[in-house]
Amino acid sequence: MTLYYVLQLLVLIGLVTTAAAVIWFKDLISAAIALGASSLILALQFYLLRAPDVAIAEAAVGAALTTAIFIFAIRSTDRTEGYR
Amino acid sequence: MKKVIAMIALLIIFAFLAGAIVEMRGEDGGFGNPVNTDMDEYFLGDSQPHNQVNNVVTAVLFDYRGLDTLGEATILFSAVSGVLTVLRKIKAPKEVEK
Amino acid sequence: MKWKMSVIVRTVSDVMVVPIIVFGIYLILHGHLTPGGGFQGGAVVASATALLIVSNGALKDYKGDFSTMESAGLTFFFLLAFLGIVMGFAMFYNSLAGTGGIFGGTVMSGINPGYINTGGTVPLMNIVVGMEVIAALSLILWMMAKNSGMMEVEK
Repeated sequence: MTLYYVLQLLVLIGLVTTAAAVIWFKDLISAAIALGASSLILALQFYLLRAPDVAIAEAAVGAALTTAIFIFAIRSTDRTEGYR
Repeated sequence: MKKVIAMIALLIIFAFLAGAIVEMRGEDGGFGNPVNTDMDEYFLGDSQPHNQVNNVVTAVLFDYRGLDTLGEATILFSAVSGVLTVLRKIKAPKEVEK
Repeated sequence: MKWKMSVIVRTVSDVMVVPIIVFGIYLILHGHLTPGGGFQGGAVVASATALLIVSNGALKDYKGDFSTMESAGLTFFFLLAFLGIVMGFAMFYNSLAGTGGIFGGTVMSGINPGYINTGGTVPLMNIVVGMEVIAALSLILWMMAKNSGMMEVEK
């Protein structure tokens, strides 16, 4: 049971870290990949909270499809954040 | 000034969310005992003999709350219609006569 | 500009697309027995489309097929919803459960592994919604990749 609590604490720390990295990166492709990593860790957290339905949906939509759509959109606009 | 207003609004929203978390707590304390448990026994006991479905989550999604799933499918359809409308192939506009 | 990844990435993605699609179809068909369902399985199959587009940079012209599939999925979902009224009950009533036909078997009560020929209209709705979600997400990916210049349409 201690291992469960330690794992959940590590998952929450990773979730906050990746969510801060999304805001911190100025390169938008790096930010999109950090958002995908955040979604994957969120799916692991859903699985630990015994909601495997939501975990499957979050992993498929958040980690695969949203990252692909963001990268398609970034490649047709600017790559870095800020005004020109 | 804008940042101060935004910070105050953020604090108010955070206070409301914290109050909602405390309100959601069960009678015995702790987060394992939610307040609204009126329909739990009905769903858990009815989905196997009535609907012949082993997975209670799917039984709720597609049978008891089927109208919500219909709305979700309609939302997806209208999202695709919006993408197809925005990204359609358009001809170059004619020169405006002056 | 022709976008294409290296031959290793293309070969591995061509091999990995098959188990991803099979896993998605498994999630759709066993939605009434195991965790999963129409939306989850459809999203998994659509991620296989994303893998093909990103690695190869080209895909055939599936726009009409995806549009037809999505409209057919939504229409069949409406028809299944009104099947309860046709059979003499309310809307969304599970009128096929336990009648003995297709998906009409009965389940034992209590904890059991289950049998796939049960559930009434629930597995049919899973299949229909899965068809719609596959087509919708794949169509969004296809249109955005084509218009951002990362994919060219094969003849």
